[in-house]
Amino acid sequence: MDAIELLKFYFITPQEIIGILTGVLREGLMYSVASLGVYITYKILDFPDMTVDSSFPLGMSITAILLILDVPPILTLCISFIAGALVGVITGIIHVKFGVRDLLSGIIVMTALYSINLRIAGRSNLPVFKKPTIFHLEYFNFLDRSMKTILILLVIVAICKILLDYYLKTKNGYLLRSVGDNEKLVTALAKDKGNVKIIGLAIANGFVAFAGSIFTHDRGFFEISAGTGTLVIAVSNVIIGMQIAKRIKCISDTTAVIIGSILYRACISIALSWGLEPRDLKLITASLLLIILVMNSIKRKNKVA
Amino acid sequence: MRTKKILAIIISLSMFMSLSSCGKKSSKVEGEFRIGIGQFAEHPSLDNCREGFLLGLREEGFEQGKNVTFRIDNAQTDGGFASQIFDNYVNNNMDMIVAIATPMAQMAYSRAKDKNIPVIFTAVTDPVAAELADENGKPVGNITGTSDKLPVDLQLSLIHEMYPEAKRVGILYTTSEVNSISSIEEYKYYASSYGIDIITQGISDTSDMALACDNILNKVDVMTNVTDNTVVASLPVLLSKANEKNIPVFGSEIEQVKKGCIACMGLDYVELGKQTGRMAAKILKGEVEAKNLNYEIIESASLYVNSKVADNLNYIINQDIIDRANQVFDTIS
Repeated sequence: MDAIELLKFYFITPQEIIGILTGVLREGLMYSVASLGVYITYKILDFPDMTVDSSFPLGMSITAILLILDVPPILTLCISFIAGALVGVITGIIHVKFGVRDLLSGIIVMTALYSINLRIAGRSNLPVFKKPTIFHLEYFNFLDRSMKTILILLVIVAICKILLDYYLKTKNGYLLRSVGDNEKLVTALAKDKGNVKIIGLAIANGFVAFAGSIFTHDRGFFEISAGTGTLVIAVSNVIIGMQIAKRIKCISDTTAVIIGSILYRACISIALSWGLEPRDLKLITASLLLIILVMNSIKRKNKVA
Repeated sequence: MRTKKILAIIISLSMFMSLSSCGKKSSKVEGEFRIGIGQFAEHPSLDNCREGFLLGLREEGFEQGKNVTFRIDNAQTDGGFASQIFDNYVNNNMDMIVAIATPMAQMAYSRAKDKNIPVIFTAVTDPVAAELADENGKPVGNITGTSDKLPVDLQLSLIHEMYPEAKRVGILYTTSEVNSISSIEEYKYYASSYGIDIITQGISDTSDMALACDNILNKVDVMTNVTDNTVVASLPVLLSKANEKNIPVFGSEIEQVKKGCIACMGLDYVELGKQTGRMAAKILKGEVEAKNLNYEIIESASLYVNSKVADNLNYIINQDIIDRANQVFDTIS
């Protein structure tokens, strides 16, 4: 270990700062799409949805195989969303119709999807370096590559946010929010709360698979292990976002989730450029989450007192 | 208010952190190379690769502190970390990026291809399948390196020599590991010329090991390993089950023979790393560009034998094999 410590060196230059910022924005924006999905399950429905850890690689594997089949890049995003939504429906049906507990139904679907993802891609690692992706589209060509990537991501994230905001304001969207807050109200309105939950899970996992799809476009390859930990990252993003939304009233929850995702990535990048080793990242992640949650509960206690 | 304070603390902390990084700044010196090494996981073979790489560079006159600064990172098998590591190298405009193991090589290529930073990979079993080289072995970009493809034919010939009556050779593998699957294809390709049947058993993770061992050990005369990370990590399970049935297990590299496999025709990952280091040195010296250098396969496989394991199996190793062995171990670690 000592040898490695000795070999380490740290330095920071203006290019590095710009590089770090673009890296933070890129990763943050990509994860923010998944976080929007988890916002629905975790915050609105209060449903601990483990499916996320596999619908994310589902989006990745479908995108990889579709790109190899020369499907237009934008279409792969849409197909991934639909596939993710289907998986969400399955989790929902297992939970609502068969009465399996929420956590368990997610775990069941997650486990099954691992094999299905391998089937879809054909193998555990599928490169698509040679195929054009959404980041190769002939827009914004006046920018350099990393700026172009970020601009394209910004457009995609903005579209996702606007669509989700719009949906949450529809009648269906109101029902969705009521299921999390006040289930009885939904029943009183003579609506089936189970169906509303299934729709919520479908949209959530659609977003997550959509994010997975963006990842394949960015990374240029599918790797089966890539999805592990998506839920934890996305939940952290949502929790940070909710803290922001609570304090700054003028921004909506969805915007806050996006900002939360970027802030979360920024914290990790700072930790890394500070010289912490990637091996400690999980510890940093957990500590960060714990600090935010503890701060929250202390505040709540103070309020009660 | 509290959150604002906390935000303020976080921001000031981050500023402090970047300042403290400034303190450790080592600006680029003329004639000095900066090399970032990204390793996929902590694993004896990959560690050996990295050490070998540093040795190979040193032999060519590139040394830490003298004319090279290294930054070494480990992704702990996490794709997100891998991405951050290579982003960091690219942002720092490193002179060379080294990637150890297939997912790292792909990530490095994906991150560095726009900046034309040479990428050197090692421990990539099939660079063609990983799309890091085309069918003719030519690099797809400014990227080259070494492959740790198993010397399958030599290994089968060793098994045949030590156990001529063995007709069924078993291999355990993880269904998600692409390297294992391509090695098994190789085994099947060469096995027929020795009159051997390859019997495989897939597992999805460590928890399947015990059951899978019980199952496959009933069907085979000899077991052999591929470089399957999951199976190698739970090798003791396989070894103890095989011992009960008196079935010999052949390894795929030196570390496994130390741990209790009877023998292997294996790669020496330190040698592989050295070969990679020599390639890197050529590129640093400006003799050749990575994009013009085909990836290399290690030429020589070395024979390793464990005599203690042979004793336990009541097997007498032929003196000829002992003489040929690179190293004979008489203990099980």
